[in-house]
Amino acid sequence: MSLSVKEIHSYYGKSHILQGVSLEVPEGGVVTLLGRNGAGKSTTLKTIAGLIAPRPGTITFRGEDIAGLPAHRVAGRGICLVPENRGIFKLLSVEENLNLGLRRDSPWQLEDVYRIFPRLKERRGNGGGQLSGGEQQMLAIGRALMNHPRLLMLDEPVEGLAPVIVEEIVAQIGQIRQAGVSILLVEQNLEVCTQLADRHFILEQGQIVYSGSNEEFRADHAVKDRYLGVNV
Amino acid sequence: MTATPVRPILRAQGIVKRFGKFTAVQDVNLSVAPNTIHSVIGPNGAGKTTLFHTLTGTLPATAGTIEFDGVDVTALADHQRVRHGIARSFQVTSLFPSLDVRENLRLAVQGVHRLAAADGWLPPTGPRARRELVDEILERMGLTRVGGLPAGTLSHGQQRRLEVGMALAARPKAIFLDEPTSGMGVDDIGGMKALIHGLRGDHTVVLIEHNMGIVMDISDTITVMQQGRVLVEGKPEDIRNDARVRTAYLGNMITGGAA
Amino acid sequence: MQAIKDNHQWLMALAVVLAMPLLIDSGSLASEVLIYALAVLGCNLLLGFTGLLSFGQGIFFGVGSYTLGNLLVRLDLPLAAALPLTVLAGVVSAVLVGWLAIRQRNVYFALLTLAMAQMFYFLAYTMTDLTGGDNGLLGVPRPPLSILGVELLSLESPWQFYRFVALCFLVAFWLLQRVTTSVFGRTLLAIRDNEARAAAVGYDVHGLKLAVFALSGGVTALAGGLLAMMAGIAPLSSIEYHSSEMILVMTIIGGTSNLFASLLGAGFYVLSADWLSFIWPRWLLLLGVLLMLVSLYMQRGLWGVLESLWRLLRGRRGAAPDATQPEQRP
Repeated sequence: MSLSVKEIHSYYGKSHILQGVSLEVPEGGVVTLLGRNGAGKSTTLKTIAGLIAPRPGTITFRGEDIAGLPAHRVAGRGICLVPENRGIFKLLSVEENLNLGLRRDSPWQLEDVYRIFPRLKERRGNGGGQLSGGEQQMLAIGRALMNHPRLLMLDEPVEGLAPVIVEEIVAQIGQIRQAGVSILLVEQNLEVCTQLADRHFILEQGQIVYSGSNEEFRADHAVKDRYLGVNV
Repeated sequence: MTATPVRPILRAQGIVKRFGKFTAVQDVNLSVAPNTIHSVIGPNGAGKTTLFHTLTGTLPATAGTIEFDGVDVTALADHQRVRHGIARSFQVTSLFPSLDVRENLRLAVQGVHRLAAADGWLPPTGPRARRELVDEILERMGLTRVGGLPAGTLSHGQQRRLEVGMALAARPKAIFLDEPTSGMGVDDIGGMKALIHGLRGDHTVVLIEHNMGIVMDISDTITVMQQGRVLVEGKPEDIRNDARVRTAYLGNMITGGAA
Repeated sequence: MQAIKDNHQWLMALAVVLAMPLLIDSGSLASEVLIYALAVLGCNLLLGFTGLLSFGQGIFFGVGSYTLGNLLVRLDLPLAAALPLTVLAGVVSAVLVGWLAIRQRNVYFALLTLAMAQMFYFLAYTMTDLTGGDNGLLGVPRPPLSILGVELLSLESPWQFYRFVALCFLVAFWLLQRVTTSVFGRTLLAIRDNEARAAAVGYDVHGLKLAVFALSGGVTALAGGLLAMMAGIAPLSSIEYHSSEMILVMTIIGGTSNLFASLLGAGFYVLSADWLSFIWPRWLLLLGVLLMLVSLYMQRGLWGVLESLWRLLRGRRGAAPDATQPEQRP
């Protein structure tokens, strides 16, 4: 297992958001975390990334215990989070944004990122704030790649994007997956999830309520209705 | 079986809210019947909270009108709408942390009266302490025991209950609850659900909630929003089985669920 | 007993006022302490009770000095008329400044008050007819307090003047104590704690902030006026930025949790300035260090230190209450 999360509890102040979450991401695999609003999906990613310290719970990455480590150390171990708001530096150009994540030992250098995301190459001199939503998303993912991720965590990467762009990004994520990067994906778009993932976890009210392989999940309509729809 | 037409206590028409170029709420109409529990639900980015803010006056609407109990409140700010009978709780707990629980409630009770705060001479003792009403709310929220403690020291569940209590203190006609069970443990959630359900008799409740168990169980009407618009509205049974709602939440297409 | 408890802050202030002539040689110095204490009370109303960080208190202080100076020198008004008018001038200028500054919050609010302080400074510098510009308004008299021609109180000697300042101070302190424990005062605490919540619960936050600004301006102007009388001059320095800064520093060092702390802060600063500056001209360095210590470790200021000492001595039984917390009363 690349990533192993066991029974983590996370709080925002006193608000008990995660009430015992466990999940696993296999080496080179793609896993999705699904659930309605307010379930705690983003909080789970933030806890793994080190932005929130779990109390209690354990997080093991490539055999090492990382729970409680500060975010920059977690990133240093190879876990890269692409947050929901993308976090693009609007005043910097595309290339400057990418170079912020530069690491000499990364298999993805500038040219590699441009190969996967040709649109970024076209816009390399443009300011971050001048990009469309889709391009910003690509830039955010590209920047994470520059940082040599062993585990890439994506928080709702295709939310609010036009269909054509969504298809593009899904294909690009597929390419990244093929290069051997493990991916933990939070996404509400079921089609995207079932196209990419091997395994799905569903989060509700801060707890994992379902875990299944892609085939199982595709076939199980009751689960989708109950935990993702409104038919409780 | 004809339903007697009841005048809605809240009638919002053509509500639009823009933030610069981004339109969060687009042409929303909402009618809330008195003494009912009306829930607003919807997938990510639906605009529920923004709609809420325009209804309570926390944010001004870019366009549209809001009529509450026969009065046009569109131009009124939130502190002015309180006087007309609108009160709200917040999704992220918003209390007066350094003041004790009783004081929090006393301030909320006092706030309804227009010039109540203008008294610069007399301390809030005697009739101004509003003891009876404060005690009543403490009792109802199960907070009597902690009445003398600073609000910031309460447990999360207690704070969420105090949030609701603050709204009730205004003796409102309509109470707007924004994710009241957010971050609560299983034990506290049951109590909150019963509490909200019990409010129906004396108040109208407008609710944003993600906990479908609560929404389906206690709502009289549910409005489903998606991407800033109203998708569907109806009773819980109708909403559960509505194909459009299913699509919105489960997103069949690669477009991410756009209807 | 209850009456003593309710008014204990004022009684402590009274004790200090009575003790100062016994401990301090100079009547002028003692007056200076109370004058600045008034200004600090005005600042504390904003900072401690409402959560407003104002870098513009010097504006009202200066307005007070110039107004009283002009009323006494140019218009030759009796003191009993000039003083209330000075307070009014403070109120009006505060409403003006507040009206503009309150539109913003936090950092921007503070910056606006700073900007306006600079603006008023330059106004004072250039309107030399009214202010005497760089030289200040000279020849401010110290007329006796009289009503309808009957002299009540002579202010000639420093200690006679001190009596008068003490009277003004105690009256103002008592009024402010009344206000801060009133319904209005308690509502200010709510605004300090959580503005959004206060608005959501029905309070016109903007209007209430303006009201406390007016009160602060009035008290601060009174202080400025008294200073002009004491020094015989309404100097440009009282409206200079340094004045605002000084008042703010005194407020923070004294403590923002109650009114008496303001007297502590002013007393400490004024007396240290007088005594230490003889020993060491760079005494301000010590003040800087103290400010850092307060910010890092003693956020309740000198009052907090005294409170902790008191608790240590009394074994936690005698802890004095915080005036910014509501009283536990039946």
